[in-house]
Amino acid sequence: MLDILQAISDGVLFGATYALIGIGFTLVFGVMHKLNLSYAAASVGGAYAGLLILKVLVGAAPWQVFLCAFAAGGVIGYLVYLLCFHFIPLANPLATLMSTVGMLLLIDEIIVHTTEGMPQNYPAMFDDVMLRAGEFTLRGDLLLVFAISVLAMILLLALLYRTKLGLATRAVSQQPVAAQLCGIRVGGVNAATFIVTGLLGGLAGAMIGASVGTLSPLLTTPLTVKGLIVTVIGGLGSIPGAIVAGLLVGGFENVLQLWRGVTERDLYVMLLLFAFLVFRPEGFFGRKAATD
Amino acid sequence: MDFYFGLAQLIGVHTLLGLSAYIVLLTGQVTLAQAGFFAVGAYVSAMLTVLAGWHLAPALGIGALAGAITACAVGFPALRVKGLMLVIATLAFGEGVRLFFFNFDYQVAKGGIKVGPLGGEGFRQIRFFPEHGWSTLEVMLFVWTCVVLAMALLWWFDRSRYGAVLRAVGEDEIAAQAVGVNLTAAKVSAFTIGGAIAGVGGGLYAHYTTHIEHSSFNILVATFAIAYPIVGGLRSVFGTLLAVIFVQGVLIEGLRFLGDWRNLLFGALIVLAMNVRPAGFLGGARRA
Repeated sequence: MLDILQAISDGVLFGATYALIGIGFTLVFGVMHKLNLSYAAASVGGAYAGLLILKVLVGAAPWQVFLCAFAAGGVIGYLVYLLCFHFIPLANPLATLMSTVGMLLLIDEIIVHTTEGMPQNYPAMFDDVMLRAGEFTLRGDLLLVFAISVLAMILLLALLYRTKLGLATRAVSQQPVAAQLCGIRVGGVNAATFIVTGLLGGLAGAMIGASVGTLSPLLTTPLTVKGLIVTVIGGLGSIPGAIVAGLLVGGFENVLQLWRGVTERDLYVMLLLFAFLVFRPEGFFGRKAATD
Repeated sequence: MDFYFGLAQLIGVHTLLGLSAYIVLLTGQVTLAQAGFFAVGAYVSAMLTVLAGWHLAPALGIGALAGAITACAVGFPALRVKGLMLVIATLAFGEGVRLFFFNFDYQVAKGGIKVGPLGGEGFRQIRFFPEHGWSTLEVMLFVWTCVVLAMALLWWFDRSRYGAVLRAVGEDEIAAQAVGVNLTAAKVSAFTIGGAIAGVGGGLYAHYTTHIEHSSFNILVATFAIAYPIVGGLRSVFGTLLAVIFVQGVLIEGLRFLGDWRNLLFGALIVLAMNVRPAGFLGGARRA
């Protein structure tokens, strides 16, 4: 019983990073009704870029690396917008889908090229701290990852519901044409969405690197799939949904890893997704007709 | 010369993969499940020739049938959702199939050595062509016979009532439904035919590479499958063929002299191609 509790708590703490990735997918979907398949790759790319500071500033503290990854994520997010969305007619959903796939491959290859395919060690904070309650333990670094992720989510919600940019973003996501008639620059809002999700992604990538301990280009595919699953289970376009689903998927997969081993784990996550598609295709918080 | 025959085999198999996504894309559905059907066809037909000692042709037929049945079974629940949700559902299905074969062991001792799929190690020794003395040229001709048959079938569909129904669904579902088109039948049948074509492609792939493993059927293969028709344009089946030749022949083989930089350029060129021709090489302005 304790094993299961331990697995669930570790999984839920790590699930916060899935939630961040899911938010990135869902936010772009909510605003532009587009899927940005390069998002998870961009997040990992941001995390890698965070390591660059170690080259300039020898012995940089982990928080400096995280901050650098956060900023780099924003830059990459803007570049993705410029290269994959800005010049492509938005009425054609296939074209942007394909251009983001091309971007995914490009980012992946840049990572492989610059690191020669070797996994890179990633710094973590409080990795020597362990909170204990009898047999039950909580890893300090995972707790920090969880806390930073929650903080990022709160900041994002504040940005969306307490600022002018957030108001404009929500207006564009509801009615792009009406928003434009009110004098909102839709292109600018779209670009801002990509920068904000990019910042979140860079942070998520850094958190994943910190909790796993290493970064490798092999992370991008599973992260893309997990992020998309989180998005669907939470309901497309729903931020609270992505948060709940991220934590749920994190806990679920860790329990199944305990029961069935790491090779079969993801198979059950796919089955969970299919269960949702069949019985509740709109996810936790999605609108009933949110199928497109 | 054998190198070029080998390249032609590769282009043929990838054309089948692209065509399997083409017919699904005609109905306006974006699918990332084709790698899954490709894997099912590959494993089923390879197990039939290696473990049961069948001839390749019937084994390919059963592989196609297995791909079609899987596609039909997935089609019904997956097509409850559409658009981007379907992309995600099919992506997850494709990964699910890959993970299934990652955990799939079924080995039989044959002549002192064990043959058959072995989880992460993959399925080795699919030696139908060498055992029966087929030369590279003969294999290539066999592959291209299948490709031409599949292309002819789809070309004929495009000119028939059925093709018009598929395109009507792809252009505007509500309008199509209003004139009495059965949306579920159109989508699931397109999905099933796509699954069969992918199954044949997978079977051919397994036999000419002689070794398959779960990572041969990853998301990259699934994205290639939809990339060909999208990059080539949905006007006709020849767009897909053109895109396969462009990607496999020009980008991957033609840029080999660039060494490591080739892979970098590959993603960048797809981004560029979509910026310049959002509706594909042979696409009209209408679908843009």
